[in-house]
Amino acid sequence: MKSLAAAAFLVLLLGRAAPAIAGEELVLIVSAHSDVDQLDSPLVRRLFLGLTVTQHGTRLRPVLNEADPKIKDLFLQNIVSMSDSTYDRYVLRLTLLQGRTQPPVYKSSAVLVNAVAADPTVVGYVWAKDVARDVRVKVLRVVWHD
Amino acid sequence: MRQTFLFGHPSLGEISRPWGFPTWWRTALVALSLSFAGHSALAQHEHSSSEFEVFVAAEGLAGHGRPHPRLDDPWLDADVIFGLTHEQFRVFGEYFITVDERDLERFQIGYEVIPDTLIWLGRYHQPASAWDTEHHHGRYLQTAITRPAIENWEDEDGLIPQHITGALVESRRPIGTDAGMQISAGVGAGPALTARDNEPIDLLGNNPGKHGLSFTGRLAYLPDYVGTSSAGILWGHDQLFASGPVALATLRSNHAILTIYGAYADWSVDAWRFIGTAYYVDVALDRPNSDESFMSAYLQVERQLAHRLTAFGRVEDSARMEKSRYVSLLDDHTTNIDITIRRQAVGLRWDYARRQALTVEFDHEVTLSNRGYEARLQWSAAIP
Repeated sequence: MKSLAAAAFLVLLLGRAAPAIAGEELVLIVSAHSDVDQLDSPLVRRLFLGLTVTQHGTRLRPVLNEADPKIKDLFLQNIVSMSDSTYDRYVLRLTLLQGRTQPPVYKSSAVLVNAVAADPTVVGYVWAKDVARDVRVKVLRVVWHD
Repeated sequence: MRQTFLFGHPSLGEISRPWGFPTWWRTALVALSLSFAGHSALAQHEHSSSEFEVFVAAEGLAGHGRPHPRLDDPWLDADVIFGLTHEQFRVFGEYFITVDERDLERFQIGYEVIPDTLIWLGRYHQPASAWDTEHHHGRYLQTAITRPAIENWEDEDGLIPQHITGALVESRRPIGTDAGMQISAGVGAGPALTARDNEPIDLLGNNPGKHGLSFTGRLAYLPDYVGTSSAGILWGHDQLFASGPVALATLRSNHAILTIYGAYADWSVDAWRFIGTAYYVDVALDRPNSDESFMSAYLQVERQLAHRLTAFGRVEDSARMEKSRYVSLLDDHTTNIDITIRRQAVGLRWDYARRQALTVEFDHEVTLSNRGYEARLQWSAAIP
């Protein structure tokens, strides 16, 4: 009886933990009004490293999502392929070389989604579940999934 | 802050100094700055953005065999970077402040004609310097404390003109899927060869002497288009007009024409980084003087270690500098700067906190008239 109760407790525990991990996806998003339908990985990396990326004559503008530490880690690993300190030095270097401006940082995914939805040139990344039913934005690609 | 910079601050003494450029130039600078700066509405709705960074450093120095601390090592300095971007337009500047010096080192107005190809007008760092175009005046992004002597700025008895006022084109083009090519070319007014220094054009102050034309360029291969490794060739051609009895007597020529040929590599492999550069400098003088030439090269090796430590070492060497009248002219014995002809340096940098580092460096230097040992300790940071 005790082992049955322990197993039930374990299942309950795993059941609570699973939704936060299983099926998680980090997706790249743009406004639903954007002309951009796809961006390959090298262009995405170039964009978030501060270089100029244009699509259909439009200059794209990256925004950084630091709503939670896991998003930042996944961005560093899967989009720019750099450590935090290396990325920081990289964007500082671009500022020193040419005065290039660093991408705006958002601490809230909801605010970031609003910013993306309002501007067809802005490119950002959020959890897929945060834009699952949001018709104002469209998903360009899955950046990471568990 | 940007407006304060342009109009000058009374305590800095800039506003009271005579301007070296006509009124239209000053008016144009102010109007351009005001048209971009301070318009938050513009920034929010018309895709403008601005950048403001300050690189600060504080340094202690002890030495043996050299009479004075060097002027190029101020105990405290701040390098203020500001940039404004509006669509393809850029305004960008670098203002360097030490206890003894306040200089608008760079001020550039640019237009990005196609992605990653920019045309700049203004005062810029010439692209034929491998080190200065990477590190500029900020010290935080430079692993070592000292810079190689051949890369010294003009006011540090630098031998190669570094600040040019004119036009600059910078372009980065892809090669294949990953690699790239970097092309930079500049033309403009170089420095005037005054009593003991090359004096570049000062956008905010007086400009004594005659400024000749300068042509500079760089062609580099980038193994990764977005990476920091590169290798390439450098070229410069500077017409320097001598003014003043000291310059004329030492040089025995009314002007010197410098032609610089160089090659460099700045290459990172895993935890290693190699920075190597070699320059050949030809100095053409008025007849009947014969032309002269000298060479200078350096190699810096860096290795990232555990605990955010980076070890580094650098070797600098030169040839025929002792025989050059041009070098002799710039080796100013009335100040405490001697031109270094050889140096060995080792050091350790510790990035102990985000955007802050402590660096220690030990040097053995041989100058034209002296030799000695130096130990330096530096704190450097980037704000914010």
